[in-house]
Amino acid sequence: MSPVTLIARDELRLMRRNRVAVIAFALLVLLTLAAALISWSHQQSISQTRARFQAQAAEAFEAQPDRHPHRMVHFGNFIFRPLGPLAAFDPGVDAFTGNAMFLEGHRQNSANFGDIRQSSLLVRFGQLTPAFILQVIAPLLLIFLGYGAIARERERGTLRQMLVQGVSARSLVTGKLLALGSIAALVGLPAMITFLAIAGQPGASAGPMLVIALGYAAYLCLWTIIVILVSALAPRGRDALLALLALWAVLVILAPRVAPDIAAQAHALPTRLETDIAIAQDLHRLGDSHNPDDPFFTAFKERTLRRYGVTRVEDLPVNYKGLLALEGEALTSGLFDDYANRSFAIQADQSRLYDGFGIVSPAIALKRVSMAAAGTDLAGHRRFLSQAEAYRYDMVQRLNRLQAEAVSYQNDTASDAGADQRKRISADHWHAIPQFRFQPASAADLVKASLPGLGLLIAWLIAAALALLPVVRHLQKARP
Amino acid sequence: MPLTATGQRIILSDVHLSYGSQPVLRGLTLHVEPGEIYALLGGNGAGKSTTMSTLLGFTRPDSGTVLVAGHDPAAEPDRAREQIAYVPENVALYEHLNARENAAYLLALAGLQPGMQDIEGAFEATGLQREAWDKRLSGFSKGMRQKVAIAIALLREVPVLLLDEPSSGLDPRATADFNRLVHDVARRGAAVLMVTHDLLSAADIADRIGFLDAGRIVDEACAQPPERFDVRALHRKFTREVAVA
Repeated sequence: MSPVTLIARDELRLMRRNRVAVIAFALLVLLTLAAALISWSHQQSISQTRARFQAQAAEAFEAQPDRHPHRMVHFGNFIFRPLGPLAAFDPGVDAFTGNAMFLEGHRQNSANFGDIRQSSLLVRFGQLTPAFILQVIAPLLLIFLGYGAIARERERGTLRQMLVQGVSARSLVTGKLLALGSIAALVGLPAMITFLAIAGQPGASAGPMLVIALGYAAYLCLWTIIVILVSALAPRGRDALLALLALWAVLVILAPRVAPDIAAQAHALPTRLETDIAIAQDLHRLGDSHNPDDPFFTAFKERTLRRYGVTRVEDLPVNYKGLLALEGEALTSGLFDDYANRSFAIQADQSRLYDGFGIVSPAIALKRVSMAAAGTDLAGHRRFLSQAEAYRYDMVQRLNRLQAEAVSYQNDTASDAGADQRKRISADHWHAIPQFRFQPASAADLVKASLPGLGLLIAWLIAAALALLPVVRHLQKARP
Repeated sequence: MPLTATGQRIILSDVHLSYGSQPVLRGLTLHVEPGEIYALLGGNGAGKSTTMSTLLGFTRPDSGTVLVAGHDPAAEPDRAREQIAYVPENVALYEHLNARENAAYLLALAGLQPGMQDIEGAFEATGLQREAWDKRLSGFSKGMRQKVAIAIALLREVPVLLLDEPSSGLDPRATADFNRLVHDVARRGAAVLMVTHDLLSAADIADRIGFLDAGRIVDEACAQPPERFDVRALHRKFTREVAVA
């Protein structure tokens, strides 16, 4: 048996004989399994709830009786973002962003009902998901199990004894890495079991799952190297433990929480109130279709009459009020899109800056990989918002077109006793409007989005491995 | 086993070594023959630990020749260490392992796979009590630990045994037991070098005693039958050297 294997086996034997280590390891495995189960059950519950509400909303929309189409524009429709199968592993921003939207005419509503708004603030520390366990808790276990791996040998004099037995420092470090790496692999095992369970679910793709598995494997390998590195550098086990805990607190806890604040400061988003006021002012500038002297709508009316070769709106072959609704919606939607795009651009800048912090914190790089591959990052949320807006615009304009084509101008402007009945059109029209179907990103797109984070993690891994080389040389001298 | 032309297992010849601007070894010269026990006596700061580190290949001399069974420890530390069994002042063994496991593990690291019977035989040879064989090291006294270390050295059958302050902290009976063990190892042909400041123990066990002062041997005494050494004379000499140091 090679010295590397002997050293690894002895390190594992030491851990096995240490009750605290065994209990800590067993607790972590149980915690990961519990997290997987809870996340899976939570995700199933969310999916079922959203599907049920989506069906109820669609049913309520289609159950509307014969009505004026513009009433349907204001009746609106609820849509819900369905969760991908990998959201059970890493729900990402889903808990913080909304997942339900009310779609109606003349306005773009934001998504609502994120889990975070229905939970205690403690959720902000981190939900109990397999991703949280592997990102935050697993490195802590590796630190507690491995901080003394080499520092202990130096402290007790067995390092020199080992070198005198003819063992090279390289074999010693490799053996310790192998032992702690085996623990890291065992820690990741329950999460991999969860993955296998997800693999059988509809919509699960091998590519993103592989990237996530690679990302977490690289992250745990990195922590294994960091622990051994610090243990080899520290004169005493206690010093190694303190240094590693400080490193963990900065890299895993502090940096991922400070980085978003720095990003938000560097690229500040206008407040909701500021945006609402700015939109109201811009809407006012666009014009008022109810004002006969409004220059924009006066010009629109003239263009419309010229196009149809008539002199009065009453003579138009289509309902002028419907045309006004179509034009108004196009204008307001353009304005809303403009504001939304500006907001998205700022959020994208924030996101880029935050991702850049992956250079100083591997936990941030891993979050990027995990959320991007699971489709639960900001890009996934934006995808939902974009599709929701496209659907809203299409739905509202279909209804406006129905007003223009299926309701006459005379009936629409009449106010006699039977006018209300004459303004109504058949409920069959609502049935013809397609339901919202969220199109998730393709597996290739998810993989592509997660590659920069994976690259950063691999760069961390290479840097840590290179840092081991001078440490091995230093160890070979075995200075007490 | 590679040996020098003279058969000397340990050679230090005009060795100089400094830590920064502080000279530690200043022309140290000594040699130990196979089967010989050499005690290097010196006070604090005389250079005993540095001599040991140099022989183990942990420090590189600035000049001079160092050979362990024909290998230069600075140039070929692994080859030199293959020839050495080293028993430090505080025997470093694994607390989570019992005596048998310690021996098996450390020997396996040295590339040896002795059977359990061999290990038990070595324990018996060192006088380690049978009931201690399967006990974890955490409850072992220094003497018991030294017996485990010597048992490992016996099993390795190396030509060089280095002992660092072996009698420090041992009661007279344990010291006598230990000295008997070292004699056994030497009788098997190993060259034994011990660094110590325990004159009585050195006089009891050594074939030659070198007085180390300020990094060089200032005097040397050989055992002469029947009394071996004139301990009083040695004591006077040693206390003078220590006082000077």
